[in-house]
Amino acid sequence: MSTTEKQSDEPSGRSPHEGLREERKPDYAQYLVVAVLAIVGGFLVYSALTLSEGFAKVDPVGPKFFPMVLGVAALLLAVILAIAIPRGSKGEADAGEDIDPEAPGDWRTVGLLVALFVAMILLVNPLGWVIMSTLFFGGAATILGSKHYVRNFLIGLILALASFYAFYSGLGIPLPAGILDGIL
Amino acid sequence: MENFDWLLQGFAQAATPMNLLYAVIGVLLGTAVGVLPGIGPAMTVALLLPITYNVSPSAAFIMFAGIFYGGMYGGSTTSILLNTPGESSSVITAIEGNKMAKAGRAAQALATAAIGSFVAGTIGTILLAAFAPAISRFAVTLGAPSYLAIMLFALVAVTAVLGSSKLRGAISLVLGLAIGIVGIDFLTGQPRATFGIPQLADGIDIVVIAVAIFALGEALWVAAHLRRKPADVIPVGRPWMGRDDWRRSWKPWLRGTAFGFPFGALPAGGAELPTFLSYITEKKLSKHPEEFGKGAIEGVAGPEAANNASAAGTLVPMLSLGLPTNATAAVMLTAFVSYGIQPGPTLFAKEPLLIWTLIASLFIGNFLLLVLNLPLAPLWAKLLRTPRPYLYAGILFFATLGAFAVNVQPLDLALLLIFGLLGLMMRRFGLPVLPLIIGVILGPRIERQLRQSLQLGGGDWSSLFTEPVAIVTYVCMVILLIIPLVLRLFHRDEETLLVVEDDRDQREKAQA
Amino acid sequence: MIVIGYTADQFGKAALDAGIAEARLRDTDLLVINSTVGDSYVDAAFAQPAQVRDVSARLSTCGVPFELSQPVGVYAADALLEAMERPEAELLVIGLKHRNPVGKLLLGSVSQQVLLECPKPVLAVKPEE
Repeated sequence: MSTTEKQSDEPSGRSPHEGLREERKPDYAQYLVVAVLAIVGGFLVYSALTLSEGFAKVDPVGPKFFPMVLGVAALLLAVILAIAIPRGSKGEADAGEDIDPEAPGDWRTVGLLVALFVAMILLVNPLGWVIMSTLFFGGAATILGSKHYVRNFLIGLILALASFYAFYSGLGIPLPAGILDGIL
Repeated sequence: MENFDWLLQGFAQAATPMNLLYAVIGVLLGTAVGVLPGIGPAMTVALLLPITYNVSPSAAFIMFAGIFYGGMYGGSTTSILLNTPGESSSVITAIEGNKMAKAGRAAQALATAAIGSFVAGTIGTILLAAFAPAISRFAVTLGAPSYLAIMLFALVAVTAVLGSSKLRGAISLVLGLAIGIVGIDFLTGQPRATFGIPQLADGIDIVVIAVAIFALGEALWVAAHLRRKPADVIPVGRPWMGRDDWRRSWKPWLRGTAFGFPFGALPAGGAELPTFLSYITEKKLSKHPEEFGKGAIEGVAGPEAANNASAAGTLVPMLSLGLPTNATAAVMLTAFVSYGIQPGPTLFAKEPLLIWTLIASLFIGNFLLLVLNLPLAPLWAKLLRTPRPYLYAGILFFATLGAFAVNVQPLDLALLLIFGLLGLMMRRFGLPVLPLIIGVILGPRIERQLRQSLQLGGGDWSSLFTEPVAIVTYVCMVILLIIPLVLRLFHRDEETLLVVEDDRDQREKAQA
Repeated sequence: MIVIGYTADQFGKAALDAGIAEARLRDTDLLVINSTVGDSYVDAAFAQPAQVRDVSARLSTCGVPFELSQPVGVYAADALLEAMERPEAELLVIGLKHRNPVGKLLLGSVSQQVLLECPKPVLAVKPEE
C-alpha cells in the first residue's frame, strides 16, 4: 500500500493546502473506509432490529431509533464514498507537525509495532508488567530505528520498574507481576 | 460580585502547595510537548487521563490546563528556532519568527512571543471568567429542546466547517456516534452493541478511546512516516527585548488577543484562522511593511497573542456549555466525564469551586509560563535532541500503561489497539479526528436529550421547535450548511479564498 | 583517497585540518563524510547549509580534489567503514572525543567502533587545547 503521490510544482514552501493542487488520481485504498462504514452500518441496523421495543408512552423514540438512524447513515455514507472514490475524491492525509510527506508510508514498521502490541496483550498477565513493558519499550524503540539495542531495553527496564512501583505505592494500582510474582 | 468571591476562593485553592506543584508540572510538561513537533497537548492530556482515576479533579484539571496553555508557548519556541512549527497553531509564527532568528534576533522573537502569550492569556482568562458564568447562567434557563439544538449545532459546526471535506467529517462523526452507542440503553436497560461482553456494558471507556485515537493513532501514523533529515536549529541565549521592540509589540499583542478570543470561543473557530488574520492585519497596519517576510516583530507578536487568546476562548464553550471546540478541549471534557461530572451549563452551579479553581490556576499557570520559559528557552531547544525512536516508543509505552491501568485487564489493551488502528486509518485517509471524539462525547447526551424532550413533549416532534433559542439555532445550523454551497456557486471555496490570499502574499514575499 | 569523518564541531575541524594536510602530503584526493542518523529533530553534528558552504570553501582552496557527502539515515561508523571499503581509500581521519568509561559503556562510541573495525590505517586527532 502506498500513499498518494504529491507533485509539487513549486520548488520550495509547502503550503498546507497543497492537497488541493494534487493530481486527481483515485486513491483506491479508501475502499477500506467504505468497508468499515458498511460493516458498522450493517451491524448497527442489525442490532437495532433485534432490540425490543421501548415503552412507547414514555419513550416515543425508543432504544432502536438512534442505532437505526446511525446505521442507515453509515451505509449511506459508505455508498457516497464508494461513488466518490473513483471520481478522485481523496482525504488529505494528516500532515502533522513531524511528518515527512514525501516519504511513502512505512507500513512494515507499523505492522511490527502492531504485532508487538498483540504480544503485549496476550502475554502481559502471564509474564507480568515489568517483563512485558520492558520488552515493549525496547522492542518499539528498535522497530522505530534505534540500533542501540542494549540501551533500548535498559531504558525500557527502568521505565517498567519505575511505573510498576509508582503505580503500586503512589496510586495504589497493582500491575500484574506475572512470573516475577514474589520477587518484586 | 459573587463571581469575584468564587474567583478568590479559587485562587486560595489553586495556590495550595500540592496544586501549585501540579500547575508547575503541567506547565513544564505542556511546554515540553509544545516544543516537540509531533506531540501536542491533546495527546499529552489524553495520555494522562488515566490519572483521573486516582487524583482529585482540581489537581488533574490544574495540570491539564497548564499543559494546554504550555503547549501554545512551546510551539512558538520551535517555530522560531527551527522553522518547524511545534504546534499547528504556530505555523504563522514560524514565518517571521524564524527570519528574525536567522537575522540574529532570536532572543527578541522569543521574548515577544512569550510576553505576548502572557498578555493574551491573561486577558483571555479574564474574559473567560467574565463571560463563561454569564453564558452558563443563561444556558441553564434553556429547556431541553434548546439545549438539544445547541448540541446539534456544535456537531454540525465541527463536522461541516472544519476540514476540507464534509463527507469525511460526516464519516468521522457517524463513527464517533456509533462508538457512543455501545453500552446499556439508559431507559430500557437493554444492552446495545456490546457483543455479549459484560465489560462493555458501561460502554467503551472514553479514556481508552481518547488515548487510542489521540496517542496511539498518532504514534502509529508518525511511525509510518518518520522524518529523517534533522533541521537547522539556531542557538539562542536568554530572550529579551529592547525598548523599540516593546513599542512595536504591544499593540499587536492586544489586536492579536482581540482576534484570537472570539475565534477560540466559536465552535470550529480554531487557532489557525485568527493567527492568520492577525498576521495579515499586522502586515497592513505596520509602519514597516517591507520588513514582513524578513523578520518583522509584529508578525510574531500578533499571531502569538492570537493563538494564546484562542486557547482561552476555547474554554468558554467548554466550561459554560460543555461543548468542545478543539481536540484538547474535547479530551479535557473526557476527563470531566471520567470523573462523573456532567459537563454542561450546570457545571458552574454544581461544581463552582472546581471551576473557579481551574480558572484561577489558568492565571497562575500563565504567570508561571512567563517566569519559567523566558530563562529556560535554550533548555527547551536542547530537548529537540531526543531521538525520535525513544520519543515515540515512550508515547506507546505510556499509552499502554494508561489504558492498562484503567482496569488492569488486557481487554482494554485490545480495545486500545483496535481504536488505535482506527485512529491510524483516519489519519491515513484524511478523516478528521475531532468530529469522532465529539461524537463519542456528545452522542449519548444528544440521544438522552432527544428522548427526554420528546417525553416531556408527549411524543410530539414539533415540541422540539417550541423554544425560540432552539429555532434560532436550527436556522443558524441550516445557514452554516448552506454557505459553502452558495460560495461554490460563485466558484469560490472559503478555503481557496484564504489560499489565494496566502499565495499572493508568498509570491510577493518571494519577489521582494 | 583519504576519508575524513567530519562533524560540525571542533573535533571535525581538527579532523579536517589533519586530513587536508595528509592529502597534500600524499597528493591524493579527499572524501569528507558528514552523516546523521536523522533520529532527532536537531543534530548538532550535522552540518547545516551555511556550514557546508564554509567547509566547501575551505576545501576548494586546499589544492586537492575533494568530495563532500552528507548521508542521512545511517550510523556514522557504518558510513565511514563502508567508505573505507573502497579500494582507493587509504587512510581514515577522525576527531577523537574523550569519554569516560561509563559514558562509553552506556552511549557507545563511533570512534571506538571505527578504530577497532577498520582494516586500513586510521588517524585519530584531537583538537588543539
